[in-house]
Amino acid sequence: MSDGNGAPPALLATDHVVKAFGGLVAVNDVSFSVPQRSIVSIIGPNGAGKTTFFNMLTGLYKPTLGTISFADKDITGMRPDKITALGVARTFQNIRLFPTMSAVENVMVGQHARMRAGIFGSVLRTPRVRKEERAVREKAREALLYVGLRESELDQVAANLSYGDQRRLEIARALASDPALLLLDEPTAGMNPNESARLTEFMDRLRSERDLTILLIEHDMKVVMGVSERITVLDHGEKIAEGDPVEIRADERVVEAYLGKRGDD
Amino acid sequence: MSGLRELRTSKWANPLLAGTVILAAALFPFFVGPLDSIMDDSILVLAYVVMALGLNLVVGFAGLLDLGFVAFYAFGLLVTGWWASDHFSDVNSKASSPGIHVGVGEFPQSLAGIHFNFLLLVIGAILICAIAGAIIGLPTLRLRGDYIAIVTLAFGEIIGRVAQNGDELTPFANNKLTNGRQSISPIDQIDLPFLEEFDQATNLRPYFWTVLALALVVLFVNFRLRDSRLGRAWIALREDEVAAASMGVPLVRTKLLAYATGGAFGGISGAFLGPYLQSVNANQFQFGFSIFILAMVILGGLGSIWGVVLGAVLVAAMNVFVIPDVLDGGAVRSVLDSLGLDFTFSQVSFGVFGFILVLMMVLRPQGLIPERRRKLEFAEVTGTDETLYEARA
Amino acid sequence: MEAASATIDRPAARRSDAARELLSKYGLVAILAVVPIIYAIIDLRDDGNLTRLGNNVVEGLSNGAIIALVALGYTLVYGIIELINFAHGEIFMIGGFVAFGLYGTLGLTPETGAFGLIVGLLVILVISALASGSLNTMIERVAYRPLRNAPKLAPLITAVGFSFILQNVGILWLGASQKSVPDLLGSQSELFNVFGLSISRGDLLAVVATVPLVVLLTAFIGRSRLGKAMRATAQDPEAARLMGINVDTTISLTFLLGGLLAGAAGLINTLYNTQVWYFQGFQAGLLAFTAAVMGGIGNIRGAVIGGLIIGVIQGIFDNRIGNEWTPAFVFGYLVLIMVFRPQGLIGEETREAG
Repeated sequence: MSDGNGAPPALLATDHVVKAFGGLVAVNDVSFSVPQRSIVSIIGPNGAGKTTFFNMLTGLYKPTLGTISFADKDITGMRPDKITALGVARTFQNIRLFPTMSAVENVMVGQHARMRAGIFGSVLRTPRVRKEERAVREKAREALLYVGLRESELDQVAANLSYGDQRRLEIARALASDPALLLLDEPTAGMNPNESARLTEFMDRLRSERDLTILLIEHDMKVVMGVSERITVLDHGEKIAEGDPVEIRADERVVEAYLGKRGDD
Repeated sequence: MSGLRELRTSKWANPLLAGTVILAAALFPFFVGPLDSIMDDSILVLAYVVMALGLNLVVGFAGLLDLGFVAFYAFGLLVTGWWASDHFSDVNSKASSPGIHVGVGEFPQSLAGIHFNFLLLVIGAILICAIAGAIIGLPTLRLRGDYIAIVTLAFGEIIGRVAQNGDELTPFANNKLTNGRQSISPIDQIDLPFLEEFDQATNLRPYFWTVLALALVVLFVNFRLRDSRLGRAWIALREDEVAAASMGVPLVRTKLLAYATGGAFGGISGAFLGPYLQSVNANQFQFGFSIFILAMVILGGLGSIWGVVLGAVLVAAMNVFVIPDVLDGGAVRSVLDSLGLDFTFSQVSFGVFGFILVLMMVLRPQGLIPERRRKLEFAEVTGTDETLYEARA
Repeated sequence: MEAASATIDRPAARRSDAARELLSKYGLVAILAVVPIIYAIIDLRDDGNLTRLGNNVVEGLSNGAIIALVALGYTLVYGIIELINFAHGEIFMIGGFVAFGLYGTLGLTPETGAFGLIVGLLVILVISALASGSLNTMIERVAYRPLRNAPKLAPLITAVGFSFILQNVGILWLGASQKSVPDLLGSQSELFNVFGLSISRGDLLAVVATVPLVVLLTAFIGRSRLGKAMRATAQDPEAARLMGINVDTTISLTFLLGGLLAGAAGLINTLYNTQVWYFQGFQAGLLAFTAAVMGGIGNIRGAVIGGLIIGVIQGIFDNRIGNEWTPAFVFGYLVLIMVFRPQGLIGEETREAG
């Protein structure tokens, strides 16, 4: 799906996507694309439909209308695990780790789609399965160290980790499936400015070191302005603006959406 | 004392303990008479251990509340009723030696009906229960926890009812499906290759070792699965289905595998109990049985393999030994009689299981040997500069 | 949570949703109707009239009224805390046992005069209703309230546990087999005959006793302050709490109400079917729960309608196929409903899980 004028091809694209719950329209006619190897943000006031939109991209919701494609493949309404297998991974707005599993095990689950061990192989623990287990465990440990957890924390039960570590764990788990596209839902929620800055840096590294494309939902404007190449603004389920940080900062409609029309108070 | 502590936390602690217990169990029959009632009790207890391990897989690992596990007990038993007795005496009746026989000894050879070797029965039970499990699981795939409980309960009851009224159904050319409220009996004794056919009337030890072997195999499979890709997928499913799917776990397949595998274990237990109990009685296929097994899993610890073994031993022992022999026997009986109380504990056994469930849920829902206890026990919350944001999301 | 503003003007999207909704609703109606229709045809062919089916229906409606009262208990509790009160069937059973026990205490026999019977039964009604109501409330207080924040598994298992404990209480109280109870009202004796349909005293009782109770309940929930509190808590417990509603008390009250109805149903059942049995709670519970789900769990009207429908279905099956098979069929219906139309006849489709 390349853009005729030499711009990088879109890794992910949505075409007039609508999501309605009965009579309530959460996402209304959003067409949107994410160029490969870019970092794109979606912003908007609370209730704008951002997470609903994400949920459609990852298969948790089926779009009422419209299509979604990933790497030139139609993924509209596809099951979430299939979409993950294709190369899309995500984190959640409210951390959704597996609380009684250790950090390493959480990340190993993230690799489920990349593993081949079946029920019989697992029971018999054939050499191939053993090798795969070792490799997967090793990879999980590496991923956790890469995101910044410490050696001593790797075997901690996820519920016992600090908030920041849990956020990092979620990212490591998402990275575990070797995605091409990483969706981060408010990754800096609850973080102090120091942490947020480090995460911003980290996202940049991810993109260059791992050849990732990143799509973020964010509220922290510093992060958004600092890391995004392009920003899309949603309000009441509709796209009201799109452009680079400079354009968006100056856009009247965006300011209105966040602060309300002038003269309203 | 420190030497002991070292031993306890060392890598070898568990296997050593396990090995000792298993050895003790294997040698146990030599310390009691071949027909002692304690042998009988132990055999039943071990059969229930297998069944509980099956339910633990579904409820404990995968978090699918199955209240109809009796269905797999039923199928396991029915397999032996169909293929190790003269129930289908019509089959092949015109031949000179009537019936179908595969791998059985001299005596069953002479009987009409279908007679398969015990190992074939086990395999048959595994297959049928795995398929049944998948079929039972299918309608529950989109349901929430409490609704799953009801649907599985419903299936358990439907299967039980069909078995109880099966004498009115003749799907196989005039052959009744089951014997209805009367049992199908007798069931052939177990006959393993290279060994003489077992004879319950004289020696229960071979039965003991057989069920012990089955239990060990099932235990082994459980441990292997728990620490595998599939096991992690099940636990992820239990903890957060949505997150699991988003991480690439295929929900339908993983859930159905849980039902099928857990059901298969139930079938193995049933297939053993057929020959052991010598009869297949559809009156036992009640909801109460599912609760009986559930009580074992809850008491022991949902998801905890050794916990469930312990829970099963305790609850089953209570049912086959403590209640009938201890509480309703001798001393306690006379005390109660002297107080003018004329109920027997056997009458209240189901109330007791209900009470266990209530007590455990309110006081200690994680069970006697909680899953992952070791990890939680030794885990320390590490303090970092993020301690300000300790809030759980 | 995401809120959205614009009203939909996407006809295509709405049409497929609406089509699915209609299909599943009328599908449910169809599978329910198919049974009476088949037997109607058989009856016309065999007897030339619908008397037999009519009598099945009459008896079914009477039992259905009793089932409806029990179903109301399930639906009220589920509506407010999303818990299937597994022990509710046993609450009904205990109510019936208490009623029977009081026959002796009050000296009621089939020979007692009309006035004495009426007064006596009213007293028993109050007492058994209260007994069941307080039992239900006590169980909530002791077992469900501490587990309100536990995963759903916990209170459900506890409910199952209590169900068994109460069944055992039944066994200890009156033994393990069905027990015949004095037929105080001559409940099977025919009162009058309409188009060949036999309406017995028991049938009249069932209707006359149930209707006021349902009306009272609906009025209470619709108009009283406590009723409003119940509805508010059912919709949003947090908001209700913020509005000053005592959620704990409201929930206890709901259990009390459900228990009262179950106890009343227990008495009516004892009078109508002249039999008590420790296991009847499980049976009635199954039927009533299916009724509640069929009508739309959480919906009062649905529970009543569901109860009547299930009663009729039970009446037909019991008479035609034998009551050994009826539970299997009712459970079959339950599975179908839960899989294909979990919101029941009247319930609304819920939001997809996120």
